[in-house]
Amino acid sequence: MGFSSKQMMGLGVFLFAIFVGVPLLIGATGRWDFYFTLTSVALLAIASAGVWLTFYIGRINIGQGAFALIGAYVSAILVVKAGWSFWLSLPAAGLFAALVAVLIGLPILRLRGVYFAMITLVLTQVVTLTALALPITNGAKGISNIPLPSGLSLFGIPLIPDFGSMENTKLAFYLTACILMVVTYAALYRLVNSRLGHLCRSMQQNEELASSIGVNIAYIRIVIFAISSFFGGLGGAMFGSIAQSVYPSSFQVADSVNFMLNCFLGGLGYVFGPMLGTLVLYFGWDLLFEFGKYQMLIYSTLLILIIRFLPNGLLSIRFSKGDKS
Amino acid sequence: MEQILANGVYLGSQYAMIALGLTLIFALMNVLNFAHGQMYVIGGFVTYTVYGQLGLPFVVALVMSCVTLAILGALIEKFLFAPVIKGSAREESTMLLAAGIAFFLDALILIIFGEKQRGVPKIVNGVFNYDFRLIMPYDRILICGLAILSIVAFIGLMQYTKTGRALRALAQDRTAAQLMGVNVDRYSMIGFALGAMLAGLVGGLLVTITGVNLGMGGPTSIKAFMMVMIGGAGVISGAIWGGIILGFMEAIGLAVLSQYGDITYLLIFISLMIFLAIRPQGLMGKPWG
Amino acid sequence: MSSLIQVKNVTKKYGGLTANNDISFDVGEHEILSVIGPNGAGKSTLFKMISSFTPTTSGEVLYRGERISNLKPHIVARKGVVRTFQETTIFKSMTVRESVVVAQHLRAKASLAGYFWGSRTAQDDVAAFGKYADELLEFLGMSEIANELASNLPQGNLRALGIAIGLATAPKVLLLDEPFAGMNHDETMNMVNLVRSVRDERGVTIMLVEHDMPAVMSISDRIVVLNFGEKIAEGTPSEIQNNENVIEAYLGSADDEIGM
Repeated sequence: MGFSSKQMMGLGVFLFAIFVGVPLLIGATGRWDFYFTLTSVALLAIASAGVWLTFYIGRINIGQGAFALIGAYVSAILVVKAGWSFWLSLPAAGLFAALVAVLIGLPILRLRGVYFAMITLVLTQVVTLTALALPITNGAKGISNIPLPSGLSLFGIPLIPDFGSMENTKLAFYLTACILMVVTYAALYRLVNSRLGHLCRSMQQNEELASSIGVNIAYIRIVIFAISSFFGGLGGAMFGSIAQSVYPSSFQVADSVNFMLNCFLGGLGYVFGPMLGTLVLYFGWDLLFEFGKYQMLIYSTLLILIIRFLPNGLLSIRFSKGDKS
Repeated sequence: MEQILANGVYLGSQYAMIALGLTLIFALMNVLNFAHGQMYVIGGFVTYTVYGQLGLPFVVALVMSCVTLAILGALIEKFLFAPVIKGSAREESTMLLAAGIAFFLDALILIIFGEKQRGVPKIVNGVFNYDFRLIMPYDRILICGLAILSIVAFIGLMQYTKTGRALRALAQDRTAAQLMGVNVDRYSMIGFALGAMLAGLVGGLLVTITGVNLGMGGPTSIKAFMMVMIGGAGVISGAIWGGIILGFMEAIGLAVLSQYGDITYLLIFISLMIFLAIRPQGLMGKPWG
Repeated sequence: MSSLIQVKNVTKKYGGLTANNDISFDVGEHEILSVIGPNGAGKSTLFKMISSFTPTTSGEVLYRGERISNLKPHIVARKGVVRTFQETTIFKSMTVRESVVVAQHLRAKASLAGYFWGSRTAQDDVAAFGKYADELLEFLGMSEIANELASNLPQGNLRALGIAIGLATAPKVLLLDEPFAGMNHDETMNMVNLVRSVRDERGVTIMLVEHDMPAVMSISDRIVVLNFGEKIAEGTPSEIQNNENVIEAYLGSADDEIGM
């Protein structure tokens, strides 16, 4: 699994751009608001990576908003009510979302195509309604005033500084989100190019044939759905921490649909597709802000036109065919 | 008890009509119409404008809702879905397109009609009261009757007319229908228009009771998805059963569970998951739709 | 000859319809056994039950004395009983070599996590899979098309690809679903030779379901004949050719099909 020198170059340029280039550029131009935009893009890209992974086993997942919301609430509750450190609550949120995914996945992952798409969409709505109804999530009032992440040290060596004592948390959150995103996509890339990824591809193309060569398709589906939801929970938890609040409306059906759109738009055949899709959709949406009430109209029109004329995703322009990532 | 039953029938008949349109479109083109709820909302706003604002008779308003949505549906099919279905490597692209259209229609509604809740004057006054055990305003009874009538008319259309037979042939097997001489492109368009029209009709009917607002689109689509899953996607009887069952579950849930907060939908969803675990194709569906 | 697979009183009912009624026979080790019968005789259903793609209504199938019916397909495959499909069931957007590599995953020594982290064992596995894939494709005469996308292959090659995928799992028993369907005489003879060499050189026991009578007669050690879901005859090709029940079942519609 070696990398070509061209791929290494690309990776280096990318890492340099997000960790050095962007902060320098923002520092020079003074557009500090871009940090928030880019942090959001990074976090949404993490959740989208999960959706992409379920696509990889041939399932259309429109339920990632549900898992992002679950992750946000778990982290918020652990930090606010149980006094956990945010850095501990972050993996806990991901794991809890994964656990929910296993429980829900057992019955629904047997469904295919449109059926799976529909039930995951319904799931988002149901989690929102549940958050409204349960006492622990505090109903429509949500959980606000979540403290900023505290510092983390291991054996007395400070690993992460205390966000609360920082003058500017924007850069800190941006860097955290970028690190998380890079780790997520590295893991995704590794997974797709390892044996599990090959088995996923075999299932995506023909489940019957896959099971005839001994692939335990039910098990792999659950594993993949759990990983996917882990990413969703992670992204959601981080979002809640940045916004310092979670409401039942923090992630809604429209968000679930957007996660799916990010993947489609970037191209389902490319590991880094969802990242690109998220960037384009989010920035596109932001740039159209000036158009006021016509923002949504222009945005959706562009979206429709892209699908109409590039039905196989944005990355399909550059690469002729095949998954070489 | 009687009250719950009556509410169930009332809700069920509305829901069944929404689900019918969605399932028709799905059966014909294998498209999950995300924009179904938005079409319903547009139907509501058209009736609001024609009946509530311009003061024309309610029936005219209903017809206008139907015509508007039928034209909109036909245009969407001809210029968007049909070419995307032909040109895309993955069938999921239609889902993306449907989502884009849902956003687009939402934006359109916002610009044309605004985001305020709109209502219209009652079409009939008075309340049916049977010994305080069953209370039902007359307008609800009328709307419920109209909905049932529309469903019957729709089934009649599908069963006994040439168009209906062609649509059913198309839904069953596209290639076979083509071989039999059905003009596939034309009837796909007609079917989509018909499905959209049904959504518009329910919107027009319900605006007299619940009013209409921009935010109703998404949740309506989601309810329609649930009904279609209960009954089985692409099957007409399934859509009707799904509508009735969801209507009754909601009516019972609201009556029985109201003191525990709004967990009706959580319970409905859990039962739906258990049901689908046992019967993935829904009540009436063929395996894997 | 010891029996490897035992089909014992297997019955399958769909609602009121009986697809297979009380079928019993054995498959010996290193045997090539064919199941034949007119359309709708229940051959495919029987095949699905042996590979656990569908449960039996009653009765059971044993492999080396162990039950393999009413399980999951992947468990049966892991035990060494692997089925192939007709040509439409392939991994469309994988190349021939990729398909054969992925089908070897049962032989993997490293865990899924080991692959993720790129452990030593996993690297060895990957190398071994590639080597075996090349060897297998050479054996099947498919080296030249190794890097073709499956969806670009002509029909005849698809059938061979199906067999290659099945063989890559290192099966003890290979169940072939109509391997000669839609082939002309030359293609059929090539396939007959291929199937025979799979048995002779790889020691794989073969069971196949087929329509093509001449091919079946030339390839099989023994034949089981089904008609309307019942077993009506079992024996060597020459016994079957002279069996009155069989002749009657095929009479009229299929005299020429038997090709006697």
